[in-house]
Amino acid sequence: MKLKRVMGVVATGVWLWSGMLSAHGQKATEMFIPIGQSPGLSNTISIIGTIEAIDPRIQTITITGPTGSWTAMITGRTKIWLDKSKLRLPNQKGSFSDLQKGLLAEVKYEDPEGRGRAKGPVDWIKVQLTGPGEKAGEMRQ
Amino acid sequence: MDYRNLMSWAVRPQVVRSVVSAFSVIITVSSCAPVSPPDPQAKLIAKGKEVFFNETFNGNGRTCGTCHPLQNSLTLDPAFIATLPANDPLFVAEFNPDLKKNFENPTLMRQFGLILENLDGFDDLENKFVMRGIPHVLALRTSVNSPQGPRTGWSGDGAPGDESLRSFATGAVIQHFTKTLNRIPGVDFRLPTDEELDALEAFQLSLGRQQDLALPLALKGTVPKRGQAIFLDNGLGKCNLCHVNAGATANFGGGNIGNANFNTGVENLPDQPADLTGERNPPDDGLGTPGDGTFNTPPLVEAADTGRFFHNNAIETIEGAVAFYDGEAFNNSPSGRALAAADPNKVGIELDGTQIVAIAAFLRVINALENIRESIAQLEASLEKRGAEAKELLDRAVSETGDSIRVLEGGGLHPEAVARLQEAKRLTKKANRSIFFRRKLTREAIEEQQRARAFLVETS
Repeated sequence: MKLKRVMGVVATGVWLWSGMLSAHGQKATEMFIPIGQSPGLSNTISIIGTIEAIDPRIQTITITGPTGSWTAMITGRTKIWLDKSKLRLPNQKGSFSDLQKGLLAEVKYEDPEGRGRAKGPVDWIKVQLTGPGEKAGEMRQ
Repeated sequence: MDYRNLMSWAVRPQVVRSVVSAFSVIITVSSCAPVSPPDPQAKLIAKGKEVFFNETFNGNGRTCGTCHPLQNSLTLDPAFIATLPANDPLFVAEFNPDLKKNFENPTLMRQFGLILENLDGFDDLENKFVMRGIPHVLALRTSVNSPQGPRTGWSGDGAPGDESLRSFATGAVIQHFTKTLNRIPGVDFRLPTDEELDALEAFQLSLGRQQDLALPLALKGTVPKRGQAIFLDNGLGKCNLCHVNAGATANFGGGNIGNANFNTGVENLPDQPADLTGERNPPDDGLGTPGDGTFNTPPLVEAADTGRFFHNNAIETIEGAVAFYDGEAFNNSPSGRALAAADPNKVGIELDGTQIVAIAAFLRVINALENIRESIAQLEASLEKRGAEAKELLDRAVSETGDSIRVLEGGGLHPEAVARLQEAKRLTKKANRSIFFRRKLTREAIEEQQRARAFLVETS
């Protein structure tokens, strides 16, 4: 009986440890999915809207969509992707400087409840580029 | 009698048509059975099957069935790969110049059934990849759910989007179906639609077992019975802790925690076959980026006929896979150390050769029982169908029966059951060729399957 309890505690600890890490499990192919087409996420868990404000000092952006505005915190863990699918070009990794006012963006918060809380760290953000030969920062200025 | 006149009459087109028509009626009547219209779920599953095996998503020619062929237990192994023609889309990296580099490793694919995956991202294709085996997609209804959310693929994080089984196909298309390494949607492939994802999920969930076993089974074989006892013994085999009822869920004494990830040290195995080739084979860090070294728990009921084993196809036989847990790689791993810490004698898993073979024999028998269950299901379903549908079900029954024979013979188990299964297979093949006696032969095949099962386990 004691063995069972000890085994339960130890093994559950190992399992929980791996479970906590899994919250940030990578989904590498996500970067190739255009804005609005992420299965089970787009428009339900994620937020799609236009970047209305950027605060480089605290690394946040504000996105406005049809149903409201959200603040998103960009952290060292946040993956930023440039969605160039409208240009029929390969999507690419981006950086904070690629997040520019006026761009269409899709945001997934780390916390699945992030959408409801309207703030918090971001798991990934996609920004859509539609002008040929332009970098994100050169559009819609 | 003037035979020349008779012959000239007989070959008149209208007479030929009449004869053919009459035979058609006979054939139709002889194989006719009341066929009820499919319910909406059955229609969705049928659509999913169509997409799974035929839809290329405007990509490089691969379908889901390229790597999960129905005739090979929905997985690939080197023996099956060796039977494929050179222009099979599985080998697209060998004949499509755009995919020649950094898409697959044909040597490791052909020798060990390994597929290239860019699980840690696509920014350094030359160096960032792992080589993984292809898991079967059977019994997914029992193996995907966990309290942390759905677990798909070898490391549990195989799907983009909401990481569900439904979303898995989207990631698979991007990784495996692309025409070029640019991976541009609408150019190199198209993404599955919501309707296709719904259908694919329904089809995949319909495959194989729909529920876990309830162990112990009343097994008849002496060695498999002992293997089951060791499997269930939390002080000896300890298998049932992470593979409850030989499935894919864990229970450490506080209730079932669903499908879980563990670091069992497979990556630390010495002399891994893929490494021995000298081909590039970077370490696989499992779940996450960077990975945490854990991999997802697969179900064991279907294991014996779906090798090779583990995420890297490191081991060829089910006996070898069981023996892994007696080795240093496992016992020095986080999971092995956790088991040892909880053991009164501070032992992880320590088994002798006879015990390893006994556990493997148990796994072989439960796999054969599942094959028999599936075979009977296919045979019974064929009685309700006709034409190509019936033929396909009978083909699947033949394939499943071949698996059960192979699994038992491979362990030298239950020769009397093997004889019954061989007869069942013969009858099923004959049924598939027969115009007039298909149903009768199919029923006889079902009886042979039931006789085979009775040699393996007490039947009430």
